[in-house]
Order: sequence, then C-alpha cells, then structure tokens
Amino acid sequence: MDASMPHRLELIGITKRFPGVLANDNVSFSVKPGEIHALLGENGAGKSTLVKMIYGIMQPDAGEIVWDGQRTVVANPKAARALGIGMVFQHFSLFEALTVLENIALGMDAKIPARELEARIRAVMTQYGLLLDPHRTVATLSVGERQRIEIVRALLLDPKLLIMDEPTSVLTPQEVEQLFDVLRKLAAGGCSILYISHKLHEIKALCDTATILRGGKLVDTCDPKAETSRSMAEKMIGAGLKDIVRAPGRTMGLPKLVVSRLSTKKSGHFDVPVDSVSFVVKAGEIFGIAGVAGNGQNALLDALSGEILGEDKDAITIDGFPLGLLDTTGRRRHGLCAVPEERNGHAAVGDFTLSDNSILTARNRLGMVVLGLINSGAAKTYTGKVITDFAVKALGPSSTAGSLSGGNLQKYIMGREILQRPTVLVVSQPTWGVDAGAAAAIHQALVDLAAEGSAIVVISQDLDELLALCDTLAVINAGQLSDAQKVGEISVEEIGLLMGGVHGTSEARDAIPA
Amino acid sequence: MQFRLEKRAEPSRFMLYATPVGAVILTMIVGAIIFSLIGYDGIGAVREVFLTPLTNAYKWQDLGIKAAPLIIIGTGLSIAYRANVWNIGAEGQYVVGALAGTWVALATYTMSGPWILPLMILAGVVGGALYAAIPALLKTRLNVNEILTSLMLTYASIQLIYYLIRAQWKDPMGIGFPQTRRFAESAQLPTVIPHTIVHLGVPIAIVVALVAWFIMSRSVFGYRMRVVGAAPHAARYGGFSENKTIWLAMLVSGGLAGLAGVLEVAGPFQRMVPGFATGYGFTAIIVAFLGRLNPLGVIFAGIVLAITFVGGEVAQTTIKLPDAATGIFQAMVLFFLLAGDLLVRYRIRRVVTTPAGAA
Amino acid sequence: MEMLIPIIVTLVGAATPILIAALGELVAEKSGVLNLGVEGMMLVGAIAGFVAQFYTGNPYLALLCGAFAGAAVSLIFAFLTLSLSANQTATGLALTIFGTGLSALAGAPYSAKPIALMQPLFPDMLARDPFWRVFFGYSFPVYFSFIMVAAIWWFLKRTRSGLILRAVGENDHSAHSIGYSVTGVRYAAVVFGGAMAGIAGACFPLLLTPQWAESMTAGRGWIAVALVVFASWRPLRLLAGAYLFGLVMTMELYAKAGGGVLAVIPSELWAALPYLATIVVLVLISIRRDASTNAPACLGKPFMPTN
Repeated sequence: MDASMPHRLELIGITKRFPGVLANDNVSFSVKPGEIHALLGENGAGKSTLVKMIYGIMQPDAGEIVWDGQRTVVANPKAARALGIGMVFQHFSLFEALTVLENIALGMDAKIPARELEARIRAVMTQYGLLLDPHRTVATLSVGERQRIEIVRALLLDPKLLIMDEPTSVLTPQEVEQLFDVLRKLAAGGCSILYISHKLHEIKALCDTATILRGGKLVDTCDPKAETSRSMAEKMIGAGLKDIVRAPGRTMGLPKLVVSRLSTKKSGHFDVPVDSVSFVVKAGEIFGIAGVAGNGQNALLDALSGEILGEDKDAITIDGFPLGLLDTTGRRRHGLCAVPEERNGHAAVGDFTLSDNSILTARNRLGMVVLGLINSGAAKTYTGKVITDFAVKALGPSSTAGSLSGGNLQKYIMGREILQRPTVLVVSQPTWGVDAGAAAAIHQALVDLAAEGSAIVVISQDLDELLALCDTLAVINAGQLSDAQKVGEISVEEIGLLMGGVHGTSEARDAIPA
Repeated sequence: MQFRLEKRAEPSRFMLYATPVGAVILTMIVGAIIFSLIGYDGIGAVREVFLTPLTNAYKWQDLGIKAAPLIIIGTGLSIAYRANVWNIGAEGQYVVGALAGTWVALATYTMSGPWILPLMILAGVVGGALYAAIPALLKTRLNVNEILTSLMLTYASIQLIYYLIRAQWKDPMGIGFPQTRRFAESAQLPTVIPHTIVHLGVPIAIVVALVAWFIMSRSVFGYRMRVVGAAPHAARYGGFSENKTIWLAMLVSGGLAGLAGVLEVAGPFQRMVPGFATGYGFTAIIVAFLGRLNPLGVIFAGIVLAITFVGGEVAQTTIKLPDAATGIFQAMVLFFLLAGDLLVRYRIRRVVTTPAGAA
Repeated sequence: MEMLIPIIVTLVGAATPILIAALGELVAEKSGVLNLGVEGMMLVGAIAGFVAQFYTGNPYLALLCGAFAGAAVSLIFAFLTLSLSANQTATGLALTIFGTGLSALAGAPYSAKPIALMQPLFPDMLARDPFWRVFFGYSFPVYFSFIMVAAIWWFLKRTRSGLILRAVGENDHSAHSIGYSVTGVRYAAVVFGGAMAGIAGACFPLLLTPQWAESMTAGRGWIAVALVVFASWRPLRLLAGAYLFGLVMTMELYAKAGGGVLAVIPSELWAALPYLATIVVLVLISIRRDASTNAPACLGKPFMPTN
C-alpha cells in the first residue's frame, strides 16, 4: 500500500439526526485501498446508519463523503454501485420465491443477457470458491448459502469497496473461516472492505484497522491487533465490563423440566420442524441451546411454549406433571413461561400500551381477570413494578410498546415473565440487539431466577452468551438436538462441528458436505 | 421548501378522533366544489345533504330510523374489523336475518301474543350468524378469503329474497306482486314515541352500541379481538386462538347484521319486498371505519351517514340532485378518512433543504 | 356441433370482460397491491365507454375512454394506499362504493338510451359464417384479451421489468434497498390494473347489453378478484378460470330463455350460480396445497420507505 495514494473512502464530519436521536455525530475516518477496516460498536451505536449513507440509502444531514479523492454525493444505491461500492446486508435483500440467478440479475444495474450473466456468476464463484447452483430457488437455500448470493452479487460489480454488515451472525465458526478467506483474497486484490461487527475476536483475526463508534460518536480508530479484546470492548461500551455474579456454592436440584421425544410437523415451506428432541433441565440449571439460525429454534420454542400444540401429553413435563396437550394459557398456569425471539409482534404488541401487554401473558397467573372482565388497575400496578425492577426506560405503563427502544422493550418483556416467578422459563435470543448494559442486566436476572430454583432454557445463536451464562449446553441442527454437555467440558470447535451438522457418530461425520 | 413525513413515537390519539370530523368537513368543502364544477348547485347540495336533516326537526325521526340499522351493523363490523376479520357481507347477513324473521312472522301469522316478536328477533340474529358462519367455516378450515366469500353470499342472498317471495311466501292477496303479506300485529315492531315512526329498533341500536363498547374496552373478549387484529402472532403467544377469534368475530358481526335485518323488516317494512336490500350493510362498512372501530364512535358515524341518506332524499326533491350523489358523498368521507389515517402515525414536517445535501 | 356454436359465442362474450379485468388485477397483485376496487373501476369504465359510444359511435374510442376512466379512478386508490399508506382493503372497498356512485350519477341522464354494439373485427364473410364465426365472429376486445394473456405471461416471465415487478411484490424492503422504486412500480401496476378494469367495464355496454344500467357489472369485478386467487397468480390459469365462469353465466342465460332441462332449476338459483361457483372454486383451490404459496409475499401490505 502506497501512502501517497489517495484514500479510497474518506468521511468528514458526517452527521445524521432522527427524531429524538443523533444517530451519527460528526464522524470522520478514512479507508485505504486494500484495507480491511472494522467498524465496531454496540447495537444502536450508529454503524448501520453510517454505512447506509455511504451506500446511498440515506443522506447525511451534514458532512462530506470523499471517494478516491473526489467529494461525492451518493444519491442512491445505484450511484453507489456505479462508484464501485458493494454492500452485503445483515438482513439479506433476497427474494425467496425467485432463483439465485434472478436475484443476482435484480442487483445488476446493467442489462446483461441471462446466459452471459450466468457465465460471469460461475466465473466469480470459481475464483473465490463460493459454490451455488444459479437455478435454485432461494427459499430452498441455507442461511450461509444465501449470504453467498449476496457476496457474489456484490463481487460481480467488481467493487472497490465492499461493505459487510454483521456478516457472521448467522454462520457457523467453520463458515466464518471460509468467509474470511474470501475477504482476504479480495483485499489482496486491492478491494477495500468495511467490516461491521461487534465480535471482537473476529475483528482481531481479520481487520487491519478498527474504528469504534459509541452513541453515534467516533471514539477511537486503532489497530485491533495491538489491542486486547477487553480494551476494545471497554471503548465500545464506555465503561468497565460487568461480570455475571453467581451465588457461591450453587447446587442444582431435581429434574424440573423433562422433554422427551418432542416433535413438530412441518407447517410452512420455509419452516424447519423439531425432530424427536429430548433433554432434562434441573431446578437451578440454565440450559443453553446453540445453533445456526433456521435449524428449528423457532419451532422448538413454539412447541415448548404451547403455541404449537403437541399430540403426546408426556412429551413435556414439569415435576412429572404432563403439559404436552395444554395451550400457552394452560402451560403458564402450570408455571411454564416463554419468551420468543421476535419482540415486536410476537412477544409484545407494538401498538398496545405496556399495561395491555402485561395482560397478554400475566393475566391468569396474577389474577388480572375477574368473571371475564379485565382488572386494568392490577395490570397497571404490575407493569409499574416491571418498569422499576428492570430499569425499563419508559414514560410509564401507558407508553406503547412500539415507542420503546429494542433493548428497553426486551428488558420489559423479560421482566414481565421473570416477575411472574415461573417454575420453568424458556427464552430465545434474550439479548439480541440489546446494548451491553441491558444485556448484562438480563443475564443477571436469569441467573438470579435460576438461583431461586427455577429451570431455565436459553436458545441463542450467540455462542459467547451461552458459554458465559449456561451450565449445560446442547446444539440444535436441522431440528435435532445433540446430547447435552457441561459448559467447560466442551470446546468451541466441537460446538462448531455440531452446529454444522456433525454429530458424534461416525456415520454422520461421513456425510459432511465438503 | 419541502414537506417530509416523520413517524410519531406514539400514534396520536388526538388525530385518531379528529380525523373523522375533519373527513366530514373536507367532504362538505370538496363536495361543494366538485358538484359545482359538474354543473349542479354545489353549495346547495352540501346544505341539503348535510345540514337540512339537522335543522329540520321533522326529519329527525327519519334520521333515527335510518341510523338504527347502520349503528347495529356498524357495531358488529367494528368488532370484526378490530380482529382483522373482513366481513364485508353484512348486507347478506342482514337480508338472511330479515328472511328468518319473516319466516317466523309468516309461520305465526294466525297466532298472536307477545312472544312472537322476541322469537322473530331471535330468528333474525341466528339467521344472520349462520349466514356469517359459512365464510367463518371456510376461512378457518380451508383458509378461503372471507372478503370474497361473504360478498358472494350477499349476491346470493338477494336472489334468495326473489325466490322466496315469488314462490312459497307470495302474498295470496298481492295481485301478482312478488312480496309477502303484511305481518300480523304481533309481528310488527312497535313505535316508542307516539305519533312518530320511531320504532323500538332505535333504542335497541343505542343499547347494542353501549354494551359493545363496554365489552370491547373492559373484557377479555374485547382484548382478544384487539390483540388478534393488532398482532396475530402475539395473540397466539398470549393464548388466543386465531380460529376461535375468527368464529367469534363472524358470528357476532353476522348476528348483529341479522338483528338489524329483522328489526328493519318488522319495523319500517312490515313485509318482505324485492327491494328490501337497500345497502345498509355496505354503508355500515363506512360507519365502522368512520367510528374508528369504536362502538361509541359508531353511534356518531351512524348518525352522520344517516344524515347523508335523509339529506340525499331531500336534495333529490328540492334541488334535483340525483340519488347517486349520496353514495359519492359517502365514499368521499371514507377516502378522506383513510387519507387522514396517515396523520395518526406520522407528522408532517416542513424541511428547509440544507446545503450539505445539495451539490 | 351446429348447436354448440351460439353457445360458445355467448360464452366468449361473458368471459372476456372478466378475463380482462382479472389480468389487470393480476399485474397489480403481482406488484404486491391488493386492489379490491375492481368492481368500482369497471363501472366507471362502463359509463365512460357508454358515453363515448353514445356521442361518437366509435367503439375503439369508447374502449380508450373506458381505459382512461378506469386508470383515473385507480389513481385515487394508488395515491391513498401507496403515497399515504392507507389500508388497501378499506381503500379498495371505498373505491368500489365511489365508482358505483360516480357511474350512477354520470349515467343518470342516459338510462334507456340505446347505443350500437361493437361490430366483429373480421369481415362479414368470416364473422357471419355459421361455422367460422366461432373463431372470427368476435369484436376486438375478445382478441385483445387473448393477446394480453400471452403478453402478460411473457412480461412477467421473460422481461427484466416483469422481474422487477415480481421482486417488488415479493419483498418490498429488499427491492427498495437494492434501489428500485417500490412506490413507482406499484403506481404503474395499479394504473395498468385500472385501465384494464376500465376496458373490461366498457365491454359491458359495447359487447353485452347496448345501454346503460346502474351497477350493470353486477359483481363481475369481484369475481375477477376471486379468479386471480383461483389462478394462483398465473395468467394461463386465469384464462381457464374466466372461461369456466363464462360457461356458468351462459348456462344462466340459456336457462332464462327457457332451455329444456335447465329450466327445472329456479331462475333465481341460476342467477346466484356465478357467485356460488366463485365460492366453490375458491374452496377447491384452497384444498390444493400449493395454492397460496404462489401468492406475492407482500400482497396487501403497506410500504413506507424510510429515509
């Protein structure tokens, strides 16, 4: 890299304001040709807003974007692509019902005959080792394969800058390695990469430079290889890290939740059912379920919560009492509460007040219904308690759930379930998209609930979270659950293999796709 | 200078209730302009359609009996639409309810007693609910779109009137007119204010709306309807089955439409005639929306739409405004209301373009 | 065979307006917009076509006027649902109420005034031939409807614009983030649907009954909406569905004319049959598994770009 060369991209004083939030406040940094540059920050730090402005999806309120030494206005994504900027989104912009080829054609600005496009796609795939059948429908592809479409789509434009938004959150550790190989090849060819993440070990392994954002402001630009994970984390969060406090000398009790051969039917096209899942959670135990997204986690949560009704009453028992045939209301009465992954629209109703949202799940356990009529006073009091105990930032019980930030809504939802003192609590992605402070609070609340003797199941894609939080761990893949193992006795590599579909048996190991 | 939409943190309650009033006022203004442009007396039309029914005390009883079916059907629809159950076949359920009541009236023609009218009303409610049960069954069992089925059944129900009054139920004294005989005394809905045409249906409509308001705002039933409509996934998580909700919504809205039908046939009509289906079931859709799917609002909206009906008739005779103008005014109210919905969730901001973005 | 020919000719006449309206709705729905105002747009097209034919006697101009009128009222729908993100179901219903009222108001002076029917496209030698009229005896809209089936199939399947339209209906947010104008594409699709509904409406006075009658489309617009579901959003199946309905309506006409066995069933039941058949058809299609999976994923959902 020649120091006299102009920067590929330079941002000068970029500012973007949303109602009530300053998403980016005077942010300036630059990216050199062939550099892998990390953009690091917590959820809500302003990373996504910043790259959306680089890619032309949004316009800055103030500041300048300089591209190859020229002041530029990136009017829209098309203009960005014309400049040589490619982007791979965290949430893929794919069309499930269309084929790979059609999806890629949609991302191309120039009209290219289908045959020629296919030839070029195959060439790029071979060059970077990204294998895909162009004629398959996207709906039939795994998450990792879908990401490859996005990458191929971006690479076909021969980009000079590739923006990757949280690309590894959906990948197994092995797939992450493959992705890094592709990115290193690209960088070696002179393409700059802007790599957005909050995973510090990945940034240390991959990136040349890291720019850290916090609350919309640039905190530091540093060399990640010269920093420790902890020092970067503290810059990112802005305070010393809080560790989970566990009561000393904790012991686990008798088996509380026993799940045996729980299966669901395939309901939709894109749905992965669970297949004969069995596990036991003892009183006081936190049981983690790891796995790549889309391997049956949603069906498992719905089958445990009662949203999907079972056919075998003994498939789920609490203290020996069979719950398998009960609906969510019946299961809650018997002490099983659940929190699904999707906050707005599933765990809570965005248009309803928090008080009304409390009625959704707490009405029977906490006596909010008398003779078919709702005691709204009781709901309000309980909601007030949740807000206070879980430090939810809301005006009060009559704020709508939709007006809360993601982290605050999650704290409210977790509080709403935990304060019902469930015997068994099943949660999915408890800290997805939540800032570190809120995540720590939620983790602590889960540990405290377990300490009181509840059995807790945590389904998460964040392996770091599970390793920090859980006593026991199992991995879900293609709807099947691996044997449970004690955290501390299992290595990340083993978990990674299980997530990729390799089970303990030799038969399964032979079946690994290359 | 430009305008930009900005999402509100919370939906505006003020706008929620101000926009229906605004929609009516805008309809009056824009309606006056449009009707003037196409060669009618625009201001006169608006005056006759919207104001004369209010200022002329003689028209008030007309308002009452026109508002009653609109309020009853509109209340049922407001409950169903809350749950995102799109019953737009209320007109058909209204007709079948009236036919069920007619059947009781004809079967008891030679009898008398205070039990006949309640029995007719019961038959009407059950008839309307059963007719709504068809789309409910198809929706819950086979996921067939209820909008299309309920509407198709409306067209079919009108043929059913024609068939019954041409064949089995034909008035033997009718000199060939396809209509039923006039109901016996015991099967006629009594008036509640002497020397007027205001029948028992008017107080019933008010009571229905008030009871519905209480149930919708205070009970688990109302909560169920609201949560299924707002977030079906969350409703399932909260223990409310979507299918059961569809059934309840369809049966309640169909039953109320049937109630309106039987009250109408036993009150103003007192017999079944070919022109019985006058479109209350469709206008009630506007009533439900204009009332913001809130039964108290439905009372207000029912009166507003009743004004346009009565006023439309006035304007027909006084300024020769065609009958169809009423429908246009009613549709305009709904258009403006739907346009105004934006203001509930968004605010309009004036933005002065900053030099940073300009190049 | 000789007997079948008049039946086929009637059938084609009954099926054509439904097919044209349904094709327009199919394109709108493929872009993700559910416009329930087809019936209203058809009525507005019908009166516009009638008035144009009444004054000019030029049926092609009448069809064009129908198309313009249908497109014009569809713009109200487009503005409310696409620019102001109003509820599509409610706005579609409002459009139908509005179209019914507007057409009745505009048509009031014309009741019981006849116009000339549109003449067959081909020379009399073919068009009046007792046999060949089964192929050549129709006026322009019939051939137009066939051409449009093929054209829309080709457009959706083979062209880049068709791909973009499908993409917008499939995932509006992705299409937006790639840089396509979701609102623009949908405006175009809705206006196209409106123009087609307008032409379909104009077919009623021009092809079927040469006069104006209030609500003369008699729910055919709703049947067109149902047909799109029945056809699983595929143009060729739409053709089959429209002709199936044409058959039902032809049977009704023959029953009314007192045709033998058909007259055993009460005429009111025949009149109700197209509507009941619609329900049966919707039930049959829903029993098939893949029916709803072909529905555009964003159908009926409002889209508001954030920027």
